[in-house]
Amino acid sequence: MKREANALERKKTVLLTFLITTIAYLLWFGGILLAPYLRSRASPWSSLVYSVYSPVCHQAADRSLLCFGQPLAVCARCTGIYMGFCLGLVLYPFLRGWRRIALPPGRVFIIVSAPIVLDTAANFLGLWQTVTAVRLTTGVLWGTIVPFYFIAGMADLFISRQKKTLEIGPGFPLE
Amino acid sequence: MTQQRAGMFRPALICGLAAGVLTAVPLVNCFCCLWIIGGAMAAAYLFAKGSPAPLTPGDGAVLGILTGIAAAVTDAIVSLPFENMNREYVQRFMDQFSQFVEEMPSGWERWFEGRAGGLSPAWFLLGLLASAAVYAAFGALGGLIGASLFGKKNLPPPPPQASPSETLQNPSHYQP
Repeated sequence: MKREANALERKKTVLLTFLITTIAYLLWFGGILLAPYLRSRASPWSSLVYSVYSPVCHQAADRSLLCFGQPLAVCARCTGIYMGFCLGLVLYPFLRGWRRIALPPGRVFIIVSAPIVLDTAANFLGLWQTVTAVRLTTGVLWGTIVPFYFIAGMADLFISRQKKTLEIGPGFPLE
Repeated sequence: MTQQRAGMFRPALICGLAAGVLTAVPLVNCFCCLWIIGGAMAAAYLFAKGSPAPLTPGDGAVLGILTGIAAAVTDAIVSLPFENMNREYVQRFMDQFSQFVEEMPSGWERWFEGRAGGLSPAWFLLGLLASAAVYAAFGALGGLIGASLFGKKNLPPPPPQASPSETLQNPSHYQP
C-alpha cells in the first residue's frame, strides 16, 4: 500500500515537472519569435526582448533564421536546440512515461553531442564553415535529449525535497 | 544530505567563477551557454570526486543551479570593463568584414547603436537577475549531465540487518 502511494506520488511529481517545463519552454521559445515580430513593427520593446537572449547566444544576424523579415532572437544552432527540445518533450511521455525517473546513460549523451561539439569546434578553429541547415540539424539532435535530463533531474529534486519534509515533520522546532 | 549540500558550494563557486570569466571575456565568449553547461559539468565532476556518496540527479541539479548563479554574478562583474572592448572589437571586425563582402549582415548597425550607451545601476541589477535565472537553468542542465556521467559510485554492499530503503544506492535512479 505504501509502495503504491509512493509510486502515485512520484508519478504526480514527474507529470507536474513535465507540465512546468513545457510551459516554461513555450514562454522561452515564444520570446524567440516575439523579438523579430516586435522589430518588424518597429517596436522599442524589441531590443529588450533580444537582450533577454543575449547572455546565451551571440545572436549573429548572418547565422540566424529569419522570421517576419527579421533575425530570430537566437542563432540557427540555438534555434535547432530549442526545436529539438520541443521534439524531446513530445517523445518523453512515450519513451519514459510518468513512473520512471532515470537520466540517460552517459554514452548516449556522448554520441548525441559529438556532431554539435565537432561542428562548433571546427567552425571556431576555422577548419570549415557550416551552412545553416547543418547548424540547425546538429542543434535539433542535441536538443532532443535535453528534456530527458531536465525533467528527470528536476523531478528527482522535488521528490527528495518532499521526502526531506516528511522526515522532518510539521513539529520540527525552528532555531 | 545537509552536509552533502554544504559541500557543493566550493566546486560550484570555483567552476562558476571560471565559467563566468570565460563567458565575459571577448573572443572566447562566442561559446555562450556552453561555458555554463561545461562549468556545471566540471562542478559535478569535482563534487563527485570528493564525495563518498553517489551524486543523485537532484543534487546534480542543485549543484548546477549554484554554479549558474555564481557564473552570472561573475559574468556581470567581469564584463563591465570589457563593455567598451567588446564594442571596439565588434566595430573593428565589422570594418574589416565589410572589405570582403558585398552586403553587410542586416541589422548590425542597429544592434551596435543600441549598445553604445552606458549601463544604469537599475538595468545592471535587472540584467543580473535575468542572467542568474537563465544561467541557473542552463547550469541545472549541466549538473544533471554531470551527474549522469560522473555520479555513479561502486558502494560496498549494505549490512544484512539494514533494510533496502536505508541504503544509499537507489536502483530506480540509475540506468543499468
